[in-house]
Amino acid sequence: MTTKTWAATAATTAAIALAVAGCAGQSGGGSDGEENPDDPIVIGVSLPLTGDFAEPGKGVQRGYEVWVDEINANGGLLGRQVELIVLDDGSDAARIVSDYESLIAQEGVDLLFGPFSTRLVVPSARVAQEYGMLFVEPAGAAAEVFESGFDNLFYAAPAIADDHYNHLAEYILSMPEDIRPQTAAYAAQDDPFAQGTAYGLRDQLEAAGIETVVDEVYPPNATDFNQIAAQIAAADADIVVGGTLYQDAVNLIIAMQQLGYQPRMAAFSTAPTNPEFPEALGSAVEGILSPTGYALEASYPSNVEFVEAYNEMFGTDPQEDEANAYTTGQVVAAAVEAVGCAEQGECQQQLIDWLRTNSVETVVGELSWDEAGRPQGAHMILQYVGGEIQIVLPEGEAQMTELVYPKPEW
Amino acid sequence: MVSGALIFQSLILGLMLGGLYALLASGLTMYFGIMRVVMLAHSAAIILSAYIAWRFATLTGLDPMLSLLGTVPVFFLMGFLTQRLLVSRLRPATMSMMSVLLTFAIALIIEGLLGYFFTGTQRRINLPYGTASVNVLGASLPVVQIISFLLATVSMAALYVVLKKTRFGWALRATIQHKEAAQLVGINTERLSGYGFGLGLATAAVGGAALSLQVTIYPSLHWHWIGPLMAIIVVGGLGSIPGAAIAALVLGTMRVMLEIPFGPTWAQTIFFVALFVTLMVRPQGFFGGRLAQRF
Repeated sequence: MTTKTWAATAATTAAIALAVAGCAGQSGGGSDGEENPDDPIVIGVSLPLTGDFAEPGKGVQRGYEVWVDEINANGGLLGRQVELIVLDDGSDAARIVSDYESLIAQEGVDLLFGPFSTRLVVPSARVAQEYGMLFVEPAGAAAEVFESGFDNLFYAAPAIADDHYNHLAEYILSMPEDIRPQTAAYAAQDDPFAQGTAYGLRDQLEAAGIETVVDEVYPPNATDFNQIAAQIAAADADIVVGGTLYQDAVNLIIAMQQLGYQPRMAAFSTAPTNPEFPEALGSAVEGILSPTGYALEASYPSNVEFVEAYNEMFGTDPQEDEANAYTTGQVVAAAVEAVGCAEQGECQQQLIDWLRTNSVETVVGELSWDEAGRPQGAHMILQYVGGEIQIVLPEGEAQMTELVYPKPEW
Repeated sequence: MVSGALIFQSLILGLMLGGLYALLASGLTMYFGIMRVVMLAHSAAIILSAYIAWRFATLTGLDPMLSLLGTVPVFFLMGFLTQRLLVSRLRPATMSMMSVLLTFAIALIIEGLLGYFFTGTQRRINLPYGTASVNVLGASLPVVQIISFLLATVSMAALYVVLKKTRFGWALRATIQHKEAAQLVGINTERLSGYGFGLGLATAAVGGAALSLQVTIYPSLHWHWIGPLMAIIVVGGLGSIPGAAIAALVLGTMRVMLEIPFGPTWAQTIFFVALFVTLMVRPQGFFGGRLAQRF
């Protein structure tokens, strides 16, 4: 063998290694299609229980399970018991289409629930739309979900990605000119949700004259954030905003600390609510802000029940994915109870019409939707204050403490 | 627009990153030099060592670097056994191809076990000196990067001295250059290949500990490393440790510098651009001579 072939072998290998993918799953059981008032109401859902989104996918499944348990313990829907069919799509957008096809056409489910995340919500919502089915989903928050022309979709959370920081934007813009931040740096993962959160805030701050000094996008697999941190540190922005999921926020924050950069305000999506976050960063978390659609401590009546039921079933506290899944159940249940039907056909349009014009009390507060299914709320803003993550915005009964600005040095 | 300070800072950070790449790539190029083995599980071993360092630090509260006292000998032994029990059973004629399959399987097993025991959650060691840095002519030099750069320098220098100055190194190089001739002068080339493999995996132990200081780790992280590392050893000349070191420094620095104009997504393609250019222009690599005369 010549050196050339060896080199080519190594090169091919490198390429193969990059192309690793694939995973397996299994299909769920079935039920017969005959309708009978005593039959259970069957709800179908396909979730990413394996593959890239396995962790959050299982969280959504737990949320649905708690909801089914709760509703059955309280006499069911319309006096009928509820049964959930869960398929595993392996985080694969092609498989989720056939999953929902078979749930509707073969299993003849009465209602559908949505899967986890934008990438899977869009194709599955399209199937549901073809069959005229109501599609309430717990986790597709990116703009494209609502710009794809769905007339059957409702997002069961307080706000779409772009609106997550609305309360923070309001707070910043209401500050007196002399202490208000003048420059801002943005770093966002190449992900529609993560970018949506950061750009939602960026657009509002830019419109108000707060100058954008750094605006970087990095790939989801990035672990080395030294260069982005160097740019932000060199620009010495007053406020740093991360459109982050988890590891990116941790690595970026440490890289910025290493370069001695001290912002007056730092906000990151999702990551700070992860229990690992303070473990990885220690005392550096103090003052970090994060939007959240769900707070355990929120005093909505159904939330207290939910947290209790969830703890009973799984022995831990629910997180946002679980809460949004439970919310999905609450939204569908409210429509079914109000309209008085749960089956394929005309009933679905009645359910859609009802949700279009009504609002629903859920574990994340009262929800209502616009024409495209965008919820009409905003996220609460959390901040690490005194080592605890606490609700600081909006001001009102939910607020646990005042927002700290400028944040302590990290 | 781009200030001189930022360019200088990036240059420093790039060199530091290049040092880490050099350490991680050195073992990979050695397996190839010794046995024509394409070792896909090398970066998985790096991540394994990083996990051990993380676990060690969280359990004992001691510095993760101390885990090297255990991992270096254990990884050496693991490498020796892997070569003796598995790799040496492959037919020499199909070694390069079949070793891909074999080490691919090892990589998947390591990844699966890490996921099973530690879940997919991303971990990062919270070090007391994790955010400290030293000021050099206005640029900040993170302490953890200095540590990993020193580790890289020391282990690569040690590797070089072992290969150049010791009888073991001579025998190993003789095995690389001409196996049959080496056997004729009484070298046990079989066992020596095992030691060589062990040495390669020992560098993965060091590299993993260095990596654990700097980034979050998770079981499938190794797939993101193996591509750039493979590209580095091809550019550097397969089997050449100095070549790998120089290629790593150059490409690591270029990656960081290119992030300024092109952003992080495009900057990481530099490794593959360099790979293609190398294969087109100088397939034997830029820093290696004929394979038989490397080192």
